[in-house]
Amino acid sequence: MTTYGLLIDYEYCTNCGSCQVSCKEEHGYPVGKSGIEVVAQGPWRIDDDNINFNYFPLPTDLCDLCADRAERGREPLCVHHCLANVMYYGPVDELAKRLEDKPKQMLVVPQFMPREAKGRFVHVDRGEEHKAAHIEVAGTGKSTFGAHRADAKVGEYEEDAV
Amino acid sequence: MQEADYKPAAVVKLDTLSDVNDIGKPWRYEEDGMTVTRTCPWSPPGCHPVGCGLKLYVNDEGRLVHVEGDENHPVTQGRLCPRCIALKDYVYSPARILKPLKRNRADRGKEDAWMECSWDEAFDIVKENYERICEQYGPESIIGMSGTGREGGTMSLYPTMVFGTPNYCYMQSGYACYTPRLAAAAYITGSTYAEWDYAGALPGRWDDDRYTLTECLVLWGKAPLESNPDGFFGHAVVDAMRRGTRIIQIDPRVNWLSARADIFLQLRSGTDTALAMAMLNIIIKEDLYDHDFVEYWCYGFDQLAERVATMPPEKAAEICQVPVEKIYEAARMYAEAKPAAILWGLAVDQKTDGMQNSQCIIALQALTGNLDRPGGQLLPGADAGHNELGFGYKECIPDELFSKMIGMDQYPAYCNMILNSQVDLMLECLETDKPYPIRMGFYMGDNALSNCAMEPKRWHDALVDKLEFCIGIDTFMNASIQATCDLFLPIATVAEREGTVFTHYAPCTVTAGFMHKAIDCGNLPSDMELAYRLGKHLHPERFAKWANEHELVEAFRLGVEEHGEYFDRVSQCVVAQVPIDYYKYEKGLLRPDGQPGFATPTGRVELWSTAYNQFGEDPLPYYIEPEFSPVSKPELAEEYPLILTTGARTTAFFHSEHRQIPYLRELNPNPLLEINPITAQAKGIADGQWVRVWNMFGEALMKAKVTETVDEKTVHGQHGWWFPEESGDEPNLYGTFRSQINNLCPNGHMGKLGFGAPNKCLICNVEPVSESYDTDMDLIWEKFGKLV
Repeated sequence: MTTYGLLIDYEYCTNCGSCQVSCKEEHGYPVGKSGIEVVAQGPWRIDDDNINFNYFPLPTDLCDLCADRAERGREPLCVHHCLANVMYYGPVDELAKRLEDKPKQMLVVPQFMPREAKGRFVHVDRGEEHKAAHIEVAGTGKSTFGAHRADAKVGEYEEDAV
Repeated sequence: MQEADYKPAAVVKLDTLSDVNDIGKPWRYEEDGMTVTRTCPWSPPGCHPVGCGLKLYVNDEGRLVHVEGDENHPVTQGRLCPRCIALKDYVYSPARILKPLKRNRADRGKEDAWMECSWDEAFDIVKENYERICEQYGPESIIGMSGTGREGGTMSLYPTMVFGTPNYCYMQSGYACYTPRLAAAAYITGSTYAEWDYAGALPGRWDDDRYTLTECLVLWGKAPLESNPDGFFGHAVVDAMRRGTRIIQIDPRVNWLSARADIFLQLRSGTDTALAMAMLNIIIKEDLYDHDFVEYWCYGFDQLAERVATMPPEKAAEICQVPVEKIYEAARMYAEAKPAAILWGLAVDQKTDGMQNSQCIIALQALTGNLDRPGGQLLPGADAGHNELGFGYKECIPDELFSKMIGMDQYPAYCNMILNSQVDLMLECLETDKPYPIRMGFYMGDNALSNCAMEPKRWHDALVDKLEFCIGIDTFMNASIQATCDLFLPIATVAEREGTVFTHYAPCTVTAGFMHKAIDCGNLPSDMELAYRLGKHLHPERFAKWANEHELVEAFRLGVEEHGEYFDRVSQCVVAQVPIDYYKYEKGLLRPDGQPGFATPTGRVELWSTAYNQFGEDPLPYYIEPEFSPVSKPELAEEYPLILTTGARTTAFFHSEHRQIPYLRELNPNPLLEINPITAQAKGIADGQWVRVWNMFGEALMKAKVTETVDEKTVHGQHGWWFPEESGDEPNLYGTFRSQINNLCPNGHMGKLGFGAPNKCLICNVEPVSESYDTDMDLIWEKFGKLV
């Protein structure tokens, strides 16, 4: 099966917010939840002439790459609306080749609700379960598993204490 | 434009767009049981008129269910900003008002006192008050209050034809937004604002044969990505950068573009004119200017050279507090690049010497031969714009009444340029009743007290006290209407109306877009339709020549009268590119007389301005230190050690709008004050802590954002804040005065021509407070999240 992802040219993400609002409109996510968020880095000065100031549109665990739209052959709504036009949607192998075109890009493969995507827990029966053996055991009469003060009673075993 | 020019714009497909797309679809079509209407929105919600391409999906119940960017638009190409993406939430917000509301004057400031009424009753209330007030005080006693980005505010229809008053008034001190730049350009070049040529009007866009990519773009006091200033699609800058355009940025505040600029001049707020003079000085002294252009097309070069010689780069470096070598570097890079362009922003207007700043920038564009060159600055031609400005004045405002316009005597360069009363004098007039009383008002799409008006409490008191009757025209209740109005007239949103949108408010238009009505929310009128309906009620004779609203729209916006049929035909293109030409000054396309040259008294670009001279202004540029700065007011430096700059945009809001749209408010929940980490530490302010910021004019409570976007001596405060989730009753008024940065901005500090205000170069102090006023987003969601 083809894996789809988003190639993001983060050199030019301007933090316009269009991806986030598109996502929320498309999916009806309430305040506080979204399938994509923009993360900021900086601004801080590298030196007198250079400033580090980058934004990264990052899919969250609520990104389904607009599955409904994809079914109709359309790109995700965040890709459609991105004002800087820096998000590309497609098969990962095709997008990966484009990473060579220029620096400051990243390829993201989101997963919708990854906890649920793993499915319900199912035990796997390997058929060679070890069975408990029936063997009589004698006590040591004292605790041997730690260092104790000489007067400590810890670990001392008295028959009538039980 | 001729009818043949209204043809669907050529489409340039973005490489991110799927092969399954809607390129080539008609203005209306069916898809999956839905009707899709293509439209170019403009107002309301407010915006600068980019007229982005929009597809509105309406289901069989007539409800707007999906909004998407239209890939058929030649400039936006399917892209859209958050505000239109969330348009559905604006249209169906539970807070939106769909029926007229009335209230007794005595009940102003009481939220619960509003009562719904019919449109007939509402119009009768207007008529009764209008006639009474006109009879008692004359029509000049009426003020039409406008803000920005709404159709109503740009229409002289309301003040002239509907109410017949000369006192149309944009409410910001010194009209410090766009118009000073337009005025300077008009006086000096004979054409209004010369926009950067971003190939918006060319069918092949960036790859069109006629276009040359801009080598160097100077962003001067402008953050176009967030603001889409005056109809310019801001992200065209990013499109150009990705093709190789290099950036010089001039701004006291670091933004995303600064980090990508070849040269970033982080100058002290308000000192731009000194920098501009120094750049001119370098370009002239180092012989980097276009000799032919100067010799054949400029007037007053020697005088300009002499004047800018008084501003050596070393002196400017000291004034602006930037390294002198960076000034040299910037001047050389700009002058050597061909083509080069300057995007000059709002910051140019927002200082007392703004008209001089503009004068210098125009001189830079002229000296480097970049005027009307492909990839340089596009000049509006003689046929640019349309008949909006001035519409109705001749018929409805007799000369005697016109001469009563507030400010006409003192500031003719202002009043005649924009046909507005001078706003700072208007405030005094309201307060003092001199030269005559102002007794009635209407907001033509303006939340003045939260946004446009400086010292808003002063305006509030004057309006509440003096207006016997006031009308609010809007989509939502706001603080200004709640405080001062007796009648609320609701209007349609972009999804419910027809109309036009010409980029850049028409002067330097690259696309002409049309709005198509996709849904109905109760037959609400657009601003223009309301003007028709109400105008007909008050002055039937003035509107008799148009059988309906549709005919008026056609006449007003397209200058054609064919009973609306012309409009119906041409509007089907949805968006057309406007025919443009380059080097128009050589071809006789800039002047009404068809002769070569510029439409100025000398026929040239007037580096020595005959118009400035005529208005009593210095014909040559000069620098004046901001009136309130650590340099001009050292005695105040201890009390107010920080420089205050205000008004940077966010994509979440259009000025004071959109605070009640949860998805947008979420992008920027609180009113932010940006403060440098070193300054914050010295003042004991933590990131996210609330602070009090104050100066001699007032104070505001804001949430500190500790960031290096500002330097140690500067803080930046967001504007336009009010809290629609709070009580609208007086004195709270949705908390509009609590986090109001305009409390710190004065009125009455304009330049000699009446233009300009120091909103971006003031002084202040900041201290932490222990309380928190953080917005509760759950409350916003609860109150506004459930659409109706």
